[in-house]
Amino acid sequence: MKALLTAIFVALLPAAGLRAAPAAPVRAACVMHFDGDWRVAGGLPEKAMLIGLQGLANRGAPRFYIVQAPSYQWEITGPLCDFYRSAYGVAFTEVASADQALSLFGRYVRGYVVWDRNAPTSLNVAFTIAGLEDALVVDDELIPLAERHGLRRIEDLRGRYTGKTDAQITSDARDRYWARCNHDSIILMGGQSGPIRVPGMADWGVQGRMFFENLSADPGHPDELALERRFMADLNPNGTIFGWHPYGKDTEEEHTTLLSTYGLKMEGLQSLPNLSFNSQFTFTPGFRFTNNHTIARDAHPVAGRKAYLSFIQSDGVGLGVWTKPGRGRIPLAWGAIMSWVKYSPAALEYFHESATPKDYFIGGLSGPAYMYPNHIPAARFGPLMHEARDLMAVLDERIFEIMDNSAADGNVGNADLTKETVDRYYREFPDVIGFVNGYGPARTRDLRDGRPMISYDYYVDPGRPREEVAADLDELIALNPIRPYFCLVHVRETNDVNSLIEAIGSLHGPVEVVPLDRFMRLAAGAKTYVTRYQHPDDPKHFTAFDATPKKAP
Amino acid sequence: MRRSLFLIIGLCPLPLAAFAGDPGLNGRWRLEAAQSSKLDGWTGVDLVIAADGPKVVLRYDMSWRQTKVSAVNRVDTWHPVSISNFFRIDQRHMAVYAQSGQPARVQAEWIDGGRTLRVEAEVTVEVSQGNQVMRLYDEFRLLEGGGELELIELHSTRNRPLVYFFARVADASPTTP
Repeated sequence: MKALLTAIFVALLPAAGLRAAPAAPVRAACVMHFDGDWRVAGGLPEKAMLIGLQGLANRGAPRFYIVQAPSYQWEITGPLCDFYRSAYGVAFTEVASADQALSLFGRYVRGYVVWDRNAPTSLNVAFTIAGLEDALVVDDELIPLAERHGLRRIEDLRGRYTGKTDAQITSDARDRYWARCNHDSIILMGGQSGPIRVPGMADWGVQGRMFFENLSADPGHPDELALERRFMADLNPNGTIFGWHPYGKDTEEEHTTLLSTYGLKMEGLQSLPNLSFNSQFTFTPGFRFTNNHTIARDAHPVAGRKAYLSFIQSDGVGLGVWTKPGRGRIPLAWGAIMSWVKYSPAALEYFHESATPKDYFIGGLSGPAYMYPNHIPAARFGPLMHEARDLMAVLDERIFEIMDNSAADGNVGNADLTKETVDRYYREFPDVIGFVNGYGPARTRDLRDGRPMISYDYYVDPGRPREEVAADLDELIALNPIRPYFCLVHVRETNDVNSLIEAIGSLHGPVEVVPLDRFMRLAAGAKTYVTRYQHPDDPKHFTAFDATPKKAP
Repeated sequence: MRRSLFLIIGLCPLPLAAFAGDPGLNGRWRLEAAQSSKLDGWTGVDLVIAADGPKVVLRYDMSWRQTKVSAVNRVDTWHPVSISNFFRIDQRHMAVYAQSGQPARVQAEWIDGGRTLRVEAEVTVEVSQGNQVMRLYDEFRLLEGGGELELIELHSTRNRPLVYFFARVADASPTTP
């Protein structure tokens, strides 16, 4: 698999015109390759220690980069490492062991904090302490290693949280440490629970002296929810929740809805690695984004009597499909993570440079980061979208994607926008040529000033047999008999493009797959779709939060 | 019509099963997803059949994640009926929405000696271009041995059948999937 990804990346280099020679003076850094063992009872303790160390080592300069195993959720760490070499002139030295890493970076550490494997949430407390006290995060088995490197014990959490709930542990940590932590952002170290934990983003939190927690936003956990509300209310305006919700306790929809009511932004996932390194680079000298626009923004193409399909992958461009075979064979729009302009410019530049002519980037998701717009306070909507517009301008993007699953249940259910929300988007984005809505299918549609808002008519589940995908698309085409029919399709990140192409090839009747910008301009000129917004009577699958936060942020 | 039907029944030595369902169809049936057409969205489907002469109640207990939906179609094998909230097992990843305000015209019939219930319906659904009528053809077939039920569904708008297999649920099983 690793060889395959390497081969793909190498194959892409000449096609994308990537530089073979460094564009900047050589800069030294270290790189360590991780395996895929994230078991609490296995590889996690050492990895947690190293990731925390990475955050400390990268304060002030990008010194320590981690390449994850090929099976890791973010598949770009290897290709991006190569890109740092080729485009930025970074000369990486391999770090072979934790012992060697401590020898290299021990000077950035003042001592160590011990977390308790019997109370895994204590790892979050340890990461918080690590950021505040420049501490190495160790479990009891790693204490001898830390002490061999001359580190002294700063805090020992063993036993402190035995038998305590997550709410009790986090409340205690809040009392002890929150006042000293960064109040612009917080680390929601959720994701997996139980025997596996993947705190890939901990370097970023440690580097930025952020508070770590994994509280639930499920109303069925009132103690945790109340505490989470207190953190969100305490964050500064325009604050960011980095990480991801805890899979075992609540849902993505619940947590994103909650943070949106405070006008906060979500930057995921908790497994996202290397932000402490990536954030310290700018774009290479002279680099400028030029998106693959296929049509002038004021063009008026005439649609034919056919069905038009356009495909979008919005799950974060670093996940999945980008490195899979088949990319470039059909027009595919990508939801680039716009905030990486600030946090990972090199990653965005890498995607831009390795894009094929059929890859097209769009803005989103819902704002400058992931949030649910039906719940953003009116006073925060304008400033947030101003930030989004600025990021879109840097990325040369003309189409904005919106997603609000606050009334959905997973990938299906009510993903529609209220008319008030639609009004706000049209007001705040006068320069876009169109909006996309949904994740799973939705039915919010509009056309104003020649700018369509189209929802997904179809979501390609990666596990769905391709002959059923073809039958589904054929059925949608049959059910929408007026021509042209505009069918927007969301491609889940783990899909395989080649198999998608096979499904498209078996469709019946006149069908054309078009780039998203062309799709929007065609849809602007032939409104065969019905204007619709979220209706109060539409089924809702989640309604538990008040629209108003307890304390105005 | 009904009078004529009774007359025919009285005069002809047709088996009673021609006009009544096999009692073996009654009960709770649970989707066997691995054998069935891939179902998007829904993760649990129970079908509860209660037939009493020509009156047949088809109850669907559906679930995905935290969502539970229970819906009932009451059909009559002697008369077409109008059902205001006709339920069909839908693919949740398609923008095709039920329209509760548009009653479906539904016809049902026992066939194959009462081992198959045939249901035909004209259902209004909401899609991108507005409301459209989808014609549905369902056969609920009791399979050999009586422990399995097969539902074959055809759409006037779909070029592949949807085939779902269900296994009989013992009485002690929970009532919802």
